[in-house]
Amino acid sequence: MELILLFGVFFLCLTAGVPVAYCLGIAAVTGFLYEGLPLFIAFQRIVSGISVFSLLAIPFFIFAGELMLQGGIAARLVKLAAGAVGWMRGGLGVVNVASSMLFGGISGSAVADTSALGSILMPVMKEKGYDGDYAVNVTVTSSIAGVVIPPSHNMILYAVAAGGVPISQLFIAGVVPGILMCLCLGFVAWLVAVKRGYPAEPFPGLSSLAVSFIVALPGLMTAVIIVGGVLSGVMTVTESGAFGAIWAILVTALVYRELTWERFKAAVLVSVRTTAMVMILVACASAFAYLLTLNRVPDLLAGAVLSISDSEYVILLLLNCTLLVLGMIMDMAALILITTPIFLPIVIDLGMSPVQFGIIMMMNLGLGLTTPPVGACLFVGCVVGNERMENVVRTIWPFYLAILFALTLVTYVPFISLGLGSYLTP
Amino acid sequence: MTPEPGRLDRLLDAVASAVMALAGAMMVVLILIFSWLVYGRYVLNATPTWVEQVSLLLVVWIAFLGAAVGIRRQSHLAVDFIRDALPAPLRMACVVFTIVTLGLFGAIMAWQGYVMWERTVQREIPLLGISEGWRAIPVSLSGVLTAVFCLDELRRLLTGRKGV
Amino acid sequence: QDWRGWNIHPEGYPNSVALDQFVETVNAETDLNLQVFHGGVLGSQPDAIEQVRNNALEFGQFNMGPMGPIIPTTNVLSLPFIFSSVDHMHKAMDGDVGEIFAEAMEAEGLVPLAWYDSGSRSFYNSKRPIVTPADVEGLKLRVMNNDLFVDMVAQLGGNATPMAFGEVYQSLKTGVIDGAENNYPSYESTGHFEVAGFYSITDHLIIPECLCVSTESWNALDDDTKAKVMAAARASAVTQRELWAAREQESLDKVRAAGAQVNEVENKVAFQERMAPVYESFLAANPDLGVVIEAIQAVN
Ligand code: NA
Ligand code: NA
Repeated sequence: MELILLFGVFFLCLTAGVPVAYCLGIAAVTGFLYEGLPLFIAFQRIVSGISVFSLLAIPFFIFAGELMLQGGIAARLVKLAAGAVGWMRGGLGVVNVASSMLFGGISGSAVADTSALGSILMPVMKEKGYDGDYAVNVTVTSSIAGVVIPPSHNMILYAVAAGGVPISQLFIAGVVPGILMCLCLGFVAWLVAVKRGYPAEPFPGLSSLAVSFIVALPGLMTAVIIVGGVLSGVMTVTESGAFGAIWAILVTALVYRELTWERFKAAVLVSVRTTAMVMILVACASAFAYLLTLNRVPDLLAGAVLSISDSEYVILLLLNCTLLVLGMIMDMAALILITTPIFLPIVIDLGMSPVQFGIIMMMNLGLGLTTPPVGACLFVGCVVGNERMENVVRTIWPFYLAILFALTLVTYVPFISLGLGSYLTP
Repeated sequence: MTPEPGRLDRLLDAVASAVMALAGAMMVVLILIFSWLVYGRYVLNATPTWVEQVSLLLVVWIAFLGAAVGIRRQSHLAVDFIRDALPAPLRMACVVFTIVTLGLFGAIMAWQGYVMWERTVQREIPLLGISEGWRAIPVSLSGVLTAVFCLDELRRLLTGRKGV
Repeated sequence: QDWRGWNIHPEGYPNSVALDQFVETVNAETDLNLQVFHGGVLGSQPDAIEQVRNNALEFGQFNMGPMGPIIPTTNVLSLPFIFSSVDHMHKAMDGDVGEIFAEAMEAEGLVPLAWYDSGSRSFYNSKRPIVTPADVEGLKLRVMNNDLFVDMVAQLGGNATPMAFGEVYQSLKTGVIDGAENNYPSYESTGHFEVAGFYSITDHLIIPECLCVSTESWNALDDDTKAKVMAAARASAVTQRELWAAREQESLDKVRAAGAQVNEVENKVAFQERMAPVYESFLAANPDLGVVIEAIQAVN
């Protein structure tokens, strides 16, 4: 009964257009009233939900990503990628994917990736005769690298929701699947480009390539600091995030000299907005999750799913499909927070590593960011590229297939996500 | 189409900008004190023990203040494709429902934030020596702002200053 | 009547097994229907204390450390070296001293039914065995969030580093910190012995845990039920203490077998003497708690 009320209120508010975070909060408050629990405990859960040490890394990653955009790091990464792979047929499509791989290693967010790289690359692509739909397709789908390749603030959300999966292990585990996904996407980008007869760029020459590498190096160092700081253990994830942010300020202000006071302020304000959006979601989701736990929903659902089939393959397929469908209509962060406590007991029961499942979830929900009807990256990509969504969606399916192919491999071959970690940790 | 913003619109926009500026300043402080933490532990071998607790407090402030401004600027994530597909009268009903529910939630936030404050104000945050009540204040503040912003939204909607 | 309970320990831990026994006994012998949530899934300990005090949950099994900021009297239990041994702690808490804390807690909405064990806490680190206070000098040691523990490490010349518990393993491994302090079962089950191989038995903190019911729920019971619940709680404490002792031995054997060096600290007095300023500033801030400290020291 209470569960019907809880989900009923949630979906009612969601359909009417109440922001997702507040749908969760309003449903939680209703549930607390129904149970006769003191209402301020609901707000205790809401505040405690974000008083979590590892979540502190999120504002830092968001801020660092925003600085890259404002301070010229993104543009230099694109130049490097253009020199390295632009000579292929349909080169700029492949460049787009490669840039996302580099940028993904710095920014933790797919939306930042879409808006940063899209605004730089899409005008160039159109000028060279690429169709608008293709430009948006490539930009949007490759931006998923931002959440799969570390650092990734969605991985932090998953680690917190999963109750203490080490973030550093998730970071390591994301590297190979992220690269694999980009290789698949790069292949499709090339294939489609050949079919449509897009041009190749001239190879700039090795010395010119070396120069773009050196120019991009200080920007790339941000990734080395964030990811390297964590893996080498000099710093905790949170501290490395803060250092990455400081480094990005120094590089963009002193080396590239593109960070003006105005741009700095803009970066701060945009990061506050994004941080607040994510954090209020986390906060309200934890009050909602409290009621689910009190009613033993995760246990009950796990039991129900496991009774459907004892085949690991079937259940994993089922979970993937559920995530895909949910990802199409809801936001990534909210889904991580709501579904992790429910799905994790199931996959642990199947003997799957929570780390591997985390990567599956990132890729799966990342794909959801690029699909209609609700896909933040797709929306941003269409706006930045000035394309109609219908046109974009009509030709995007080969790119979806590439991601689904990579997702299937990662789901059924644990070594892809866990292999690197087993080499790095003795 | 949109009429000139009135004095109330300008006042509330100014409030939103001021709140955003405060949250932005907190964000900068957050980054600075964290770097100080690493410096203190490595270089000085004296960990500033207050940083972690201050940071957790700052994040709560940034989140709640930023979220309230997000209500004013409608920057929160919402599912609106269903609403947008509805005929005009139903769409209007959805918009009014959203504003009223959010406003009510804001009012409850403001009230329960006060209850939390009352129950924790006597207690100290460990390692910080300031009252635990500081954690409850942004809840109330955000609640008040949310309720006010929603009331204003309703006013603009009903006076035809804003369409759906 | 449904009662829901909070517990931070995972299933199968001595405390969790004892709690399960408590729940079963009460469910069998009374009209109450208890269920317990292991693994801290309903929130952190300070949050859960608040939930039980306000009857959002009906019972919980709490360590007395995080109780301190909420119920100041209980902070006495977090003073370094307040108990000379686990036996001393048992004697004190099961007797009149326990009543002092029970009264203070009841006034704040919690009725303690029985005292559980969490052993004694000692320092461990990745650098060297600690034999004298001088060995602590310069070590970055993780402590729980409490001014007393920061002060304690500072008095020994260490660098007290408060840190979330979940971050400790990685931080020890990579040298972000040098060490931490805890009991054997925690040292073993967290895997910290793999990355900080020197465990030095200082026994500096012996903090009991309690099985508490919210005052509101407790007062709603008739006398017969109260007696049955109380008896079940006491019986569960006996089980818990036995299981705990066995678990300590098991953990000790395991870390030794894995190559951790465990050393006795012969001269604990040298450590205790360094704590004089900690006690002084505690008494200056809480002059009325002097009698509680004396009452504990009078037990032997
Ligand atoms: Na990333
Ligand atoms: Na891209």
